Order: sequence, then structure tokens, then C-alpha cells
Amino acid sequence: MPKLTLENVEVIYDKVFLAIKGVSLEVEEGGMVALLGANGAGKSTTLKAVSGLLGPERGAVTRGTIRFGDDDLLRMGAPQRVARGIVHVLEGRRVFDHLTPDENLIAAWHGGRSGKFDEIRDRVYEYFPRLRERGRSKAGYLSGGEQQMLAIGRALMTQPKLIMLDEPSLGLSPLLVQDIFAIIREINRKDGLGVLLVEQNAAATLDIVDSAYLIENGQVVMSGRAATLKENPDVQEFYLGGAGRVDYHAVRHYRRRKRWLS
Amino acid sequence: MWYFLELLANGALVGLMYSLAALGFVLIYKSAGVPNLAQGTLVMAGAYAVWFFISLGLPLWIAVLIGCVVLFVFGLLVERLLLRHMVGQPVIMVVMLTLGLEILLRGLVPGVLGAAPKPLSIGVGLSPVIIGDVFLNRAYLWGGVLALVLIGLSLAFFRTRLGTKMRAVSDDHVASWAVGLSVERAIGLSWGIAGIAAVGAGTLWGSVQGVDWTLSGLLFPAIAVVILGGLDSIPGVLVGGLLVGILGSVIPGYLDSMVGGSTREVVTSLIILLTILVRPYGIFGREDIERI
Repeated sequence: MPKLTLENVEVIYDKVFLAIKGVSLEVEEGGMVALLGANGAGKSTTLKAVSGLLGPERGAVTRGTIRFGDDDLLRMGAPQRVARGIVHVLEGRRVFDHLTPDENLIAAWHGGRSGKFDEIRDRVYEYFPRLRERGRSKAGYLSGGEQQMLAIGRALMTQPKLIMLDEPSLGLSPLLVQDIFAIIREINRKDGLGVLLVEQNAAATLDIVDSAYLIENGQVVMSGRAATLKENPDVQEFYLGGAGRVDYHAVRHYRRRKRWLS
Repeated sequence: MWYFLELLANGALVGLMYSLAALGFVLIYKSAGVPNLAQGTLVMAGAYAVWFFISLGLPLWIAVLIGCVVLFVFGLLVERLLLRHMVGQPVIMVVMLTLGLEILLRGLVPGVLGAAPKPLSIGVGLSPVIIGDVFLNRAYLWGGVLALVLIGLSLAFFRTRLGTKMRAVSDDHVASWAVGLSVERAIGLSWGIAGIAAVGAGTLWGSVQGVDWTLSGLLFPAIAVVILGGLDSIPGVLVGGLLVGILGSVIPGYLDSMVGGSTREVVTSLIILLTILVRPYGIFGREDIERI
């Protein structure tokens, strides 16, 4: 898998609203990287800049470069980027509601009518056996967890080299989150697939990724190995729920330090 | 009794021809998610195209074939030149755009090719087909058959892989881009296919009532058909067309003599109004799926 490199990427919505300001990050070959941050920090915008989905929201990359291996992604439309091996699992799952799970997988397949299709579809069903059971009902009626599985499975049908997941844990039970994270980890290990994971759920995420970037107000404020970040006192306090203090002095403390962080 | 059966049969056949006019509307709605208010003028343009190529001395089937190519390319161009700039804009902008297209074509095509009504002969003869005591209009009969064939083809198309992708695009544009589907190409293709359906409808309607701008008025019964049948349902086009055709034939058949005519338009409007009040998504239209 080629390496994904973002350098100083700046995204502006509607020609006025500056959403991310100079984000730089890297995903190594077969690496598993997380992008952590609060609501509105610019995580999803960063992913959309990579996958080329800013257009429908009237956003545009105004500065910086995004490269995947030797390819300059900013010159390509979204379908070409998928053809190069980057796939984006959108926030909120966004399965094709009125298609069956099987048709969802067919829609995402770009090869011809070959045996390769069956092979990859079987692998998806191996990861997510639930989808095969629900094969005939419309995807809109699946449960949230099944829809998330379908969204990931659908993305795998494009034969990606790098999969970007936007909050796969959103609205799922902690047990299901564990399952899905385990499968993501497995796909990453077995198939050597690069993963860029956007999450608010920092505790669960830092357990499975190799490294992570913290993003706040559209800027990367900290990055490093997952283990190192977990030890960092600021990260512990702001992202991992602190050390269990319920002291209102700590809240003021938090505010002050948060400003320092950004 | 025979009078009723005749109204019924002819109404059903006219209804199938309405279905044909409405088919393009559904095809576009199904993949682009946009109501195409220019569908009536597309039918008119299709009729004009076929008439024009016949007037050059070409045989009918070649004229229809070239007409299909012309309107297919026109459909692709509409997407490439107009709709592509509407990405990220509210749906109402696209609706207004199709309305503008309607007004433009309705003026432009008759303006260039002549506004006077022109005969379009498809060589089926004027003598009615007589079954028992029922007189069937021969052109309507052909129209009904062609409508059934084209609707069947559309149904089969949406079950293919390409058709599945187009249904996916209609469900969610952004999600389609995210898995590498070219939304632009799917929308262009749907406009192109709608153009071909419009040539079929235009040829038949042109042979029945002559080729002039009034063909664009088919938009009105077509909208009644799709609202009744469901905006994105091809079986709905069939059933909706039959219902609109039959009601629009039987009711005026008895009432026109009492009130002095023109009840067909009233029936069509009532169908639109009642459907929206009682069942807004039509008979077969999809409801938005919401899990609770």
C-alpha cells in the first residue's frame, strides 16, 4: 500500500468558513492510525478532503497537498480516488436504504463479472456473517450495528488499500463497538489494509491503533505512538476521562489548560 | 354496456401511452432524485426530431433510431452542461432548472422547426380494430403494446448490475461517491434513457394528435401518472397510467355530454389532488425508511 501524506491542508467551506488550518499527517503502509478530537474539530472534514467529498458541501481544499504514493489526489475526482484504493466509510453509515445488503455490495463492485467478485463478497460475509442472514431484507431496516457492518463490507468491495472510517462506533453499544474494532484490527492485520480511524471514543481507539493524531479547532495539536499518547497526562485528562476527579476546581483547571493546548 | 367497454379499453390504451410519456420522468427521479418538469417538452422534442428526419426523406424506423440517438445525447448534455453545476445546491434549484429547460425547449424547437401542426404517419392506418362491438383506435393499440415493452425493458434494466448501481445513486449521492460510483455518469445516463423513452412517446402521440408544441402538455397527465403510481416506481407508472387513462376516458364519456366537455382535465387534477392528500408517496412509491 502506498503511503498517504497530507501536508498543510487547509479547507474552506462556502468560501468563508475555515474548517481545518494546515493539517499534516501520514498513514504508513498497512498502518493503523487514529484521528481523535471533539465535535467540530475538523476530523470529518479531513477525511472528506482525502476522499474528495467536499464538493457537495461546497467545501474546497484551498492550500496544501494530499498525496497517496506518487499520486496527487487533489487532481482527481472521488471515483478515481476510490479506483486508486482509498475508500471512505461515512459517518452515520449511509448504507443504500432501499437496496438489499447483497445489492449494496454489488453496487460498490467495479470489476467485471468475474470470480473475483464472489471471492471478495465471500470474504465480506466471512467477516460479517450477520449480513448473509439478512441478505434479502432492505438495508434500511437493518439494525445500527448491522448497517455499520454493511458500510464497512461495502467499502471492502472496492478492493481498497486504505480504508478511512468515520466514527464507526457512533450509536452502537459498547459490546458491538468492541466487535467492530476487533474486525477492523483483523482486516488490518490479515489483509495489510491501511486504516485511518476517526473517533471520539478515544479510550477504545487508543487500544487498537499504532499511532494517533489529536486535532482541535482544525489543527493537529499532538501526535505520536498510541502507547505514548495514552501516558500523556493531558490526553488522559481531556480524552480518557481524567483520573476520576469530580472536583470543580479541576474544571477551571481544565479550561485553562485546554487553551494552552490549542 | 358496449359503450362502457369501449371507453374502458380505449382509456386503458391511452393510459399506457401516458405511462410511456411518464416513464422518462420516473427514470430520472429514480437515479437523480429530481422531478423533471421538462419531460413534456422532451416528448415534444422527440416527436419533432422524428418528424424532421422523416421530412428529410428517411424511412420511419431510421428516423426513430436517429431521433433516439439525438435525444440520448441531448440528455447526456443536459447533465454535463447544466446539472453538474448544481451539485450541493438545494433540490428546488434543480427543479427550477428543469422548468427553465421546459420553457426554453417549448419555444425553441417549434420556433426553429415550425409551429404549425405537422402530420406524423407511422403507417398503422386509421381504420379501427373491431372486437365484438368495441371499436379500438389502432394507433392506441400500438402505443399500448410499445409502452408495455418499454416498461418491461426498464424493469429488467434496473435488475442488472448497472441498474443496481443507478438505484444506489438515487438512494444516496455522497455514499455513492464514497464507494467510487460516478454519480454524474449515472444521472447523465438516466437523462439519456429518458430521452429515448421520450422519442417513443413522442412518435406515438405525434401520430395521434400531430406534431406541435401542444405535445408538451403531456407533462400534466404524466405528472398525474407518476404521483398516483409513485415517483420512483416503474410498476407504478404502468398502474398509474392505466388508472389515469381509464378514469380520464370513462368519466368524461358519461359526464361530457351533460356539462359541455373538458371534464378529462378535471379528472386528472382531482387524481393529483386526492393522491397527495390520501397517499403522498403514491401506490408503489417508496417511503423513506425510518427505523424506530
